[in-house]
Amino acid sequence: MFRQLAARFGGPLAMAILGLLGIWLIVMVTLPQLQMIDYSLRPNLLPAQRGGPQDGWTLTNYATLFANDIHRAIFFKTLWSSVLVTLLTLAVSYPLAWYLAKVATPRQAALCILLLIIPFWINEILRTYSWFIILAFRGPLNEVLMMLGLIDRPIRFLSGDAGVMVGMVYAYILFMVFPVYNAIESLDDNQVRAARDLGAGTLRTHRRIVIPHAKPGIATGCIMTFMLAAGSYAVPALLGSPGSRWFTQIIYNWFFEGGNWNQGAAYAFLLLVLCIGFMSLVMKVFKVGLGDIAK
Amino acid sequence: MDGSVRLEEVVMRFGDFTAIDRTTLEIGSGEFFSFLGPSGCGKTTLLNMISGFLTPSEGQVLIGGEPMAGVPVNRRPTAMIFQNLALFPLMTVYENIEFGLEVRGVDRKARREASERLLALVALEGSGPKRIGELSGGQKQRVAIARALAVEPRVLLLDEPLSALDLKLRQHMRAELKAIQRKTGITFIYITHDQGEALTMSDRVAVMSAGRIQQVADPVTLYRSPATGFVAAFVGENNRLRTTLIERQAERVRLDGGALGELAGRVAAASRLARGDPAALYIRPEHLRPVEEGSAGPILAATLEAVHFEGAWVVLEARLDASGELLRVQLGHEVSRQYTDALVAGRRMRFGYDPDDAVVLPADGSPRVDEATGEVVEAGHV
Repeated sequence: MFRQLAARFGGPLAMAILGLLGIWLIVMVTLPQLQMIDYSLRPNLLPAQRGGPQDGWTLTNYATLFANDIHRAIFFKTLWSSVLVTLLTLAVSYPLAWYLAKVATPRQAALCILLLIIPFWINEILRTYSWFIILAFRGPLNEVLMMLGLIDRPIRFLSGDAGVMVGMVYAYILFMVFPVYNAIESLDDNQVRAARDLGAGTLRTHRRIVIPHAKPGIATGCIMTFMLAAGSYAVPALLGSPGSRWFTQIIYNWFFEGGNWNQGAAYAFLLLVLCIGFMSLVMKVFKVGLGDIAK
Repeated sequence: MDGSVRLEEVVMRFGDFTAIDRTTLEIGSGEFFSFLGPSGCGKTTLLNMISGFLTPSEGQVLIGGEPMAGVPVNRRPTAMIFQNLALFPLMTVYENIEFGLEVRGVDRKARREASERLLALVALEGSGPKRIGELSGGQKQRVAIARALAVEPRVLLLDEPLSALDLKLRQHMRAELKAIQRKTGITFIYITHDQGEALTMSDRVAVMSAGRIQQVADPVTLYRSPATGFVAAFVGENNRLRTTLIERQAERVRLDGGALGELAGRVAAASRLARGDPAALYIRPEHLRPVEEGSAGPILAATLEAVHFEGAWVVLEARLDASGELLRVQLGHEVSRQYTDALVAGRRMRFGYDPDDAVVLPADGSPRVDEATGEVVEAGHV
């Protein structure tokens, strides 16, 4: 790698590039993670006690999660809700990606993509707040629904999981649309035409031809959306209710309210393991390798 | 319901562009019918109207006597073989062939029996479990044929399916396609820009140009009696000489070739050419032969410019002494051997032809073949 870079940019620049890469990977990624793992394996002690007889590696912090019914419930709820967010996002994104890739004219597609991207110029917190306003008990959505006569009294969108779901699907839709769009776009139009010509209807054409072809893109989108959903803090904090707490909020509490970094680190690490586990599962189910996803 | 196809007054427009001008055509059940024309002539548009991928702007398509208006692609009794074949790369050969049957709810056992039978028909026994990527070009071709035949179409539409193959394989597949068509009795509608394919396989050929059908005829008639200047120039090679009609006796005409002197040729019985009309005389390179001075019949004196040895024949490029036009002559082995020493550039030669082989068409607006590119240049409608 050094030789290739040196041939292209010259020795000093190549050294600088590799040096920066190394610093980034080691100092900014690997070491902090190792530090976190170290934290998570030690008890929470007063500064004076550190290095004393009570200090040492233990799994107590990890055991806490399994001992605490509420935290465990929230952990699994976060897992389940993130899966749900992922499926909802896929359900919304797939037709959109299909439309962009195969139905729309290039002009329509460009316009549509622009309209999708513009809201993302705005900060995530602000976007989430705007949903907070839209979904509020006396907010515009309830007003419109009542005006149309669809409901008699306002709905409390923000008291259950609905608000969090809507907010997350909206926040992460691009991470699903683009990989799926890219995958569908590379499908030869004649494949779809051939399936139609052989008698297949719309559903079967998608199930047998388009989806198998778009599988790596769908897997990529699902993994990204799941990771972002499971690790989201702002959306559940703003649009959630006490009944729909996210595991990230518990971690936050350990760090910044409880002041127990060791416990927080253990929880954060468990969340990481969960995400990696989910990713491997999805890759296994979709039969895709890391190479397909990196495309 | 049989496999006949009828196009009734069909017109296809894309915006301001007319891809297919008002066309009426009847294709018989069990016929091997080809549309032949240069790219952009509208032949693929016609095919797409029959398969249902396009809806005609006007007129209608009937298959087996039934109007196809409103019948979607997946409900038509047609199957298409695509130019790039469009096999499903993530499926096995079996799955590809059985796809259409699976759609129709045929059970697994019957599907497998059908695909085995079709694999035998296209001589691919034992390839069922293979992936598409493991097949050679010719094998893919066969799978595409089997997949299309699996749905038992009444009409099989073929969109230049051989264009991706190399020459030898292409010639082999021509014979095979023709054999399969005979065996199955299905109507084949074949699209190609390759006249060799159209002439060797078809029962009838429609030559198309700029959205119009120029002539529909069996290959021999097409070659021997082209109806328009476009067909004369596009199918096979032709020398075109400008003349004026002097005298007509039924199908035989005497022509004034200007500086070339008196020439002769043959007109179609239905032709309205009359005395004094400008006429184009078409003489195929292979119908010209060297003759001695003073021999009977029309004689063209020319100076050789180039001699191309092409194996089975020799092609001469000669400049007509009287008019300066270029004449192409193709000599078979038997003839060229007699003239071995004479066939050098700069040599003056005389060429004669049988007037029965030379077709005469009205001269106005006839297209010609561009000498540099070999493309047919159209000069207005014929």
